[in-house]
Amino acid sequence: MRYIRVFPIIIGLSILFGLAFSGLAVAPAFMSSITEPSVGLVAYTPSELKGRHIYTREGCVYCHSQQVRNVKADENLASTFGISKSGDYYYDRPHLLGTARQGPDLSNEGQIWSREIGEAARDYLIGHFKNPRNYNPMSIMPSFDYLSEQELSDLTDYIQSLGAWKSPVESSS
Amino acid sequence: MTLTQTNSDTTTQTNLLSSPNPGPNPFRIHALERTDHAMQVWLFSGLFWLTIAMIIGIIGAVKLFYPEFLQSVPALAYGRLRPVHVNIGIFGFMSMGYLGAAFYMVPRLTQAPLFSETLGALTAWGWNFNLLGGCLAIVLGFSKGKEYSEIPFPFDMGFGLLEIAVAGNIFSTFLLRREQRLYVSLWYILLAIIPFPIYYTLGNANRFSGIEDAIVNWFYSHNLFGIWLTTLGLATLYYIVPKQVKKPLYSHTISFVGFWTLAAFYPWNGGHHVIWGPVPMWVMSASVTASLAMFVPVFATIVNFGGTALGALSVLKTDVSYRFSILAYLGYAGASLWGSSLAIMSFNAKIHFTYMTIAHVHLGFLGFGIAGLVAFTYFYLEKSRKLSYSQSLAEWHFWLTLLGIIGYVASMAAIGLIEGNQWEMGNSPTGTMMLRTPYNIVRAISGGLLLVGQSVFIWNIWQTLTTSPASSEELIVPENSQLEVAQK
Repeated sequence: MRYIRVFPIIIGLSILFGLAFSGLAVAPAFMSSITEPSVGLVAYTPSELKGRHIYTREGCVYCHSQQVRNVKADENLASTFGISKSGDYYYDRPHLLGTARQGPDLSNEGQIWSREIGEAARDYLIGHFKNPRNYNPMSIMPSFDYLSEQELSDLTDYIQSLGAWKSPVESSS
Repeated sequence: MTLTQTNSDTTTQTNLLSSPNPGPNPFRIHALERTDHAMQVWLFSGLFWLTIAMIIGIIGAVKLFYPEFLQSVPALAYGRLRPVHVNIGIFGFMSMGYLGAAFYMVPRLTQAPLFSETLGALTAWGWNFNLLGGCLAIVLGFSKGKEYSEIPFPFDMGFGLLEIAVAGNIFSTFLLRREQRLYVSLWYILLAIIPFPIYYTLGNANRFSGIEDAIVNWFYSHNLFGIWLTTLGLATLYYIVPKQVKKPLYSHTISFVGFWTLAAFYPWNGGHHVIWGPVPMWVMSASVTASLAMFVPVFATIVNFGGTALGALSVLKTDVSYRFSILAYLGYAGASLWGSSLAIMSFNAKIHFTYMTIAHVHLGFLGFGIAGLVAFTYFYLEKSRKLSYSQSLAEWHFWLTLLGIIGYVASMAAIGLIEGNQWEMGNSPTGTMMLRTPYNIVRAISGGLLLVGQSVFIWNIWQTLTTSPASSEELIVPENSQLEVAQK
């Protein structure tokens, strides 16, 4: 008798929480759009994974998103690089979608500073990591001058991999 | 079944805060002699971490317009301090402070001594050291890298296990209770303590990848705000506001509606962090619907507290604690309605990645979180410990805090809107960077005002507690007079 008012509450709460749990945590695991990689997507190389680890460790995600949305504010990005799809993130662990844009979106940085440009692109990226204000005096990005040369190189590998696998967007989209 | 029971109990529950004539009861008298030890460790730890969170927040804010500030110290880089600020805000300040309030309320509302004061105090110290370890791990470069689950193993699991011990302690008190009727604060505490280990473990220990990882991440972290911090905060307000105005709660039926709609809709809200993102349409639809449906529980709370506070506004002039309660009430209403509106798809498309999110979160944490906990602390000192704190310092604390909140939220909301409009006109985040500088300066100054107010507050508490005429244990108020306050 003592429990009579506690247990109905607990059962009710369990049902309500369980519904949301099934919807948001269980159901996505069975969606093929999420569980299959996009066409052309390539897995990260070991050095890119190391760079990705530096990216998460240094908290780059708090200022840089990695998603292009189908909205007016993203129009320029969407017309150049296309809209991000679930499968694009197949190899991302942890995800780095981001929630803020204190700096630019980086999901296609590997197309902007493409590997095809060669050393010039790498020099720019590494120099920019070390002191962003050498390139843009207004930048508020922290200087990552405390990273070792190897770490800067891995991070550059990762940045150059972002979106590099995508095929060019047709003008119609 | 619950519905009918609670409805039939409405009249008796209305009297809960003015519980008539409990009669002599040796067990109860014995119960009153507890020392409230556990709740004090939790509460004062929460206030300590709040100060630390503010200091780190201000350092971070300065770095946003003066990036050379404390540069080249890896542990103090912006990207490492920000997660520490956020995690201390959640697990230090809000979790610990409001668990302190819960440890205070539960024995009084159940009319039973806390199951174990010792366990309560030990879990609080464990929580403190666990948080310290977790934060050091983040600044030393061991972050897990996902928002709200940065704290790495083993400290992340430490919180999970400690929460289970806390929940067990509180739940055992529930089972041993002598007051069979459950006041609404206790419902909220049940909702806070029971599901936590499930979503916390899911959010911290999962090995998902890609979009599923993102959806689970937001499911976890929004539950952290919605059914952990908000519920503990609302439980506290539901407890202290009727006592401050010496009136029973406006309507138990409305609080019933508010509680169950909150429990139904809040856990679905997580997906609204990825509106327009690369997620299945139905995740967005469900989350937008649930976010808008949050208007129901929020309005229920607005009406309920509004009805309770109405006619008692004269108390505002004299009672700083009550003024903070009203601030917390307005902060809760504002942050919640604002949060729902941010989930409106057309609006979200514009402001999703802007500072408006920061403004919304801080209205919740500063307006609702700080104000509610401060209200509880003053209430605790005055009504429970029978100590009189300095009114003039409390006035300073209130106005500095209010000014800091307004400055912070207004500056961030304004620049958020400007950024959103600029981006829709084709400008880029790099292009709007220089526009942010003056607003970031206002943000840092507002943070400074909050920190000064907080320092005045800590000084005031310290003075009050150390210069009290008699030992604190003798001054703890008997249970019955706690409950009878509302009657007079």
